Amino acid sequence: MSEPSIFFSDVNERQGSFLRRTFVFGGFSGLGILALVGRLAQLQIVQAQEYATLSSQNQFNFRMVPPPRGVIKDRNGVVIAGNRPSFRVLVVRDETKDLDQTLDLLGQLLPDTMDRRRAIIREVNAASKFNPVPVKSDLTWEEFAKVNQYAPELPGVMADMNEARYYPFGGAFAHVIGYVAKVSDRDVQAIRDKGQQPPALLFNPSFRIGRQGIEKALDQDLRGQAGGNRVEVDARGRVVAEDIGGSRPAVQGQEVILTLDADIQNRALEVFGEESGSCVVMDVRNGDILAMVSSPSFDPNLFVSGIPSKAYRALADYERRPLLDKALGGTFAPGSTFKPVVGLAAMKRGWDPSRRVVCNGSFFLGRRFACLGRHGAQDLRGAIKNSCNVYFMTIATEFGPDAIAETARDLGFGQTFDIGLTGQKAGLVPDREWRRRNPVRGDGKWYPGETPSYGIGQGALNVNALQLAVYTSRIANGRQAVMPRLIKSIGGVEQKAGTPFGELPYDPQMLKVLRDGMEAVTDVGGTGFRNSQLGLGAVRMAGKTGTAQAQNYGAGSRKGAGRPWAQKDHNLFIAYAPTDNPRYAVSVIVQHGGLGGGTAGAPRAREVMKVALLKDPDIRARIEHAGFEAPEDAGVREAEARGEPIDAPAVDVAAPPPEVTQ
Amino acid sequence: MTASAISRPGERERFSTKLTQIDWRLAALICVVAGTGGLMLYSVGGGSWSPWAAKHMIRFGMCLALMLVLSMINIRYWFSMAYPVYGVALLMLALIEIPGLGYTAMGATRWLNIGFTRIQPSEIMKIGVVLALARWYHGASAKEASFHWKLIFPIGIIGLPFLLVAHQPDLGSAMLIGLTGAAIMFMAGLSWKIIGAVVAAGVAFVPPYVMFGMHEYQRHRVLTFLDPEADPSGTGYHIMQSKIALGSGGLLGKGFGLGSQSQLEFLPEKQTDFIFSAVSEEFGFLGSFTLLACYAGIILISLRIASLSHSHFGRLASSGVTATFALYVLINGAMVMGLAPVVGVPMPLLSYGGTVMLTVMIGFGLVMATRVHRYAELPKGHGLI
Repeated sequence: MSEPSIFFSDVNERQGSFLRRTFVFGGFSGLGILALVGRLAQLQIVQAQEYATLSSQNQFNFRMVPPPRGVIKDRNGVVIAGNRPSFRVLVVRDETKDLDQTLDLLGQLLPDTMDRRRAIIREVNAASKFNPVPVKSDLTWEEFAKVNQYAPELPGVMADMNEARYYPFGGAFAHVIGYVAKVSDRDVQAIRDKGQQPPALLFNPSFRIGRQGIEKALDQDLRGQAGGNRVEVDARGRVVAEDIGGSRPAVQGQEVILTLDADIQNRALEVFGEESGSCVVMDVRNGDILAMVSSPSFDPNLFVSGIPSKAYRALADYERRPLLDKALGGTFAPGSTFKPVVGLAAMKRGWDPSRRVVCNGSFFLGRRFACLGRHGAQDLRGAIKNSCNVYFMTIATEFGPDAIAETARDLGFGQTFDIGLTGQKAGLVPDREWRRRNPVRGDGKWYPGETPSYGIGQGALNVNALQLAVYTSRIANGRQAVMPRLIKSIGGVEQKAGTPFGELPYDPQMLKVLRDGMEAVTDVGGTGFRNSQLGLGAVRMAGKTGTAQAQNYGAGSRKGAGRPWAQKDHNLFIAYAPTDNPRYAVSVIVQHGGLGGGTAGAPRAREVMKVALLKDPDIRARIEHAGFEAPEDAGVREAEARGEPIDAPAVDVAAPPPEVTQ
Repeated sequence: MTASAISRPGERERFSTKLTQIDWRLAALICVVAGTGGLMLYSVGGGSWSPWAAKHMIRFGMCLALMLVLSMINIRYWFSMAYPVYGVALLMLALIEIPGLGYTAMGATRWLNIGFTRIQPSEIMKIGVVLALARWYHGASAKEASFHWKLIFPIGIIGLPFLLVAHQPDLGSAMLIGLTGAAIMFMAGLSWKIIGAVVAAGVAFVPPYVMFGMHEYQRHRVLTFLDPEADPSGTGYHIMQSKIALGSGGLLGKGFGLGSQSQLEFLPEKQTDFIFSAVSEEFGFLGSFTLLACYAGIILISLRIASLSHSHFGRLASSGVTATFALYVLINGAMVMGLAPVVGVPMPLLSYGGTVMLTVMIGFGLVMATRVHRYAELPKGHGLI
């Protein structure tokens, strides 16, 4: 055996050193573990509260619940803008493995999502991480079931039910109520421009903002308050469970009740058919607007989930302009419906309504202005009945444009009304002052030759259907300057008309003369007789016809037959009923409706008026009490009418001098 | 059985005697910790035995049996196998570097293809380094272990695998191998002068290494650790979520299966690296303190076993295994509590994962063998085998 490499003492030294060092190492390990315990105590005991808060912030998410939008009802409580359940498909970007692939699969189930694929991808990418983006609403039950069935193959796709805005009457209220639509960047920018912070609700993908009409004007009232759902989420943001106790329910928007009557409104749109124009019905006692229709209309439901651009283009490009609210935003020359204004202006300045003016078919002022007949000697009543141009040209030239303009404004023209809607056009009531500011060929002088056409409602004069209805209401009311009212109540709070009524600054006797004349219009021999018979016995309608020339005819036919639609005259009619105790006023404008207010305007006014009268319990009771049956009565009246020579006086046209209407 | 009885000739070699010499307190603590792991894996698996809890318990059962079998193996055989095991492990680490043999996953080449399966040589090396160092120091004098040119042998034994593993790259394993080796050198009696010099050098060179020598993701981890709130949804997210899980557990915890952080998957790697956070969240300070006490118990009992061995090889092998185990616990604990960077070191026995479990249990087999054969005499001197 060789020399030992390690000696005994060395072995002992090694062992001793090892024991000491192991003791030190064990001490270090123990200290390390003690340090961990200390750290644990710090986290779990000292800072426990802080981390518990962080943990629940992790665990719970507040998910906004958009509020149901306030319902809009008509005066009788019929819902005209409500909410309905809608099945929809949503996509969450961060839960899809591959958005393209998911959309491919989805496209097989819902083929139309393929068409909007680009828009969908843009929207999904614009949304925040875990925010579901609706890609299709209004699924049928079959589609909804199919999407649910294939849910396991479609990660990040879910189908749910929410509330969507619904307009049950489609186009009838489209212009008054407007519609809601998706919030656009411009909406957000508009709020920012005002220096305000856009509310978070705006960014919720299912939220809709009021875009037109009442929906826009009362958007804040209709919106309601967003609620919140406290939901438990996992680290990927997926909802694991709902915490019912921590949820705050959404508050539905305020209920808005309008003065409109759904039956009258529907009938008013119906009678227009394919024609373009507008109709306003007012209660002459309190100014409530019972109907306000613009035709042709469109289906506002299309806009709720986003109208396809093809459909939008079709609406926007149609020459009859369905998107325009012609009742408030379309202005027309009132034509002969304006004649009572001229008469009233003359009476106020001392014209005796019984004074007769002879009509031999022409009026001369520098040139010849034609009348449509030779009416002979007539007083004011007769002139309204026959719609005699000569008579009104005579008094117009006698009293001048400023007198006419003053009365026109008193009766409601040349102004907008505080009915809660924007987009009203004030139209134009010309006078000398206006001419000074808007000179023709550099000359601010009012030429006498302009006045005769002003007297028959032509020239620069422009009015809208609501103004015509207000004007008719004021004549029919006889005393008060009735102001229109559209919003009856918001959230149960009754709304007053924008401006309190004042007394009309005219002797009621003068207005009585105008009403007598308008009664004669719809009576035997009047220009509107044939188409103004209600057939409701003693309950009769008075009115005034009007034609506004759309353009110069040159040597062509005045009748309008064979002319392109866009060249025909506008056809107007104003009416009130009952004649003995006026309650309702109607104005009808048929754009390019052809010659003679009695042909296109009057029958439409009659039909609308009939509904308004029959819905009035007092008047209904009166009709029923008198024992008249509507159809019988109409037959008698029409038979009577056939025997009368009505063709010549029924035609009513004002022919303005060409140099003025240019 | 009395001490006199065990000192009878041949008595110590009897199987029944050997069984009584197993340290059952240590075995029991190991079972408690592994059982807690199974329980937690059941909880974070959503109250289900699959996918983790059942597998964990089955693996532990097999590893426990293996540990008991290994504890019956005479320390002499361990001694003779020390260099061969180390050599094979080193060879495999080198083979990984040959393209085609190494298996790459998640950017690191840590696995070696051996036909029917893949093995992770760095795990074998954790045992291999301990065995080789213990074997070398067994033949070294006190002077050689303290301050001597021959210290380049243990440094080489540690350095070669360290560099190979770090190159994979597997910073966690490399660090464990390096630190375990350092701990063994320390316990073998390394001179304080060298220790002082190394510490001073470390202080001077680690910051430049972090900035220039590390992979991007490694540096990112380290920097994030220094300021976790700077990047709360990236790498800092793991540390933040782990701290939230720990802190929100409070004193008594949220209850078994009720930890929102772990159940709702806010806690990353909840079944492996961050299982301790899940324990702390559901069982609170009391639970996690008890668990740490169990770990401390395992470490101290193991060190006690090491100190009782008659052979220097047994002492260093046992204490080396214990050092590895303690480093696992301390690094993982510091990591989940936000005291150390996230380095991918699991909590031994608690975390899901077969390889680490196998390594650790083989290690405890060695510790047990040391205990059972504490009187065994080993050949002296520098024999190769």
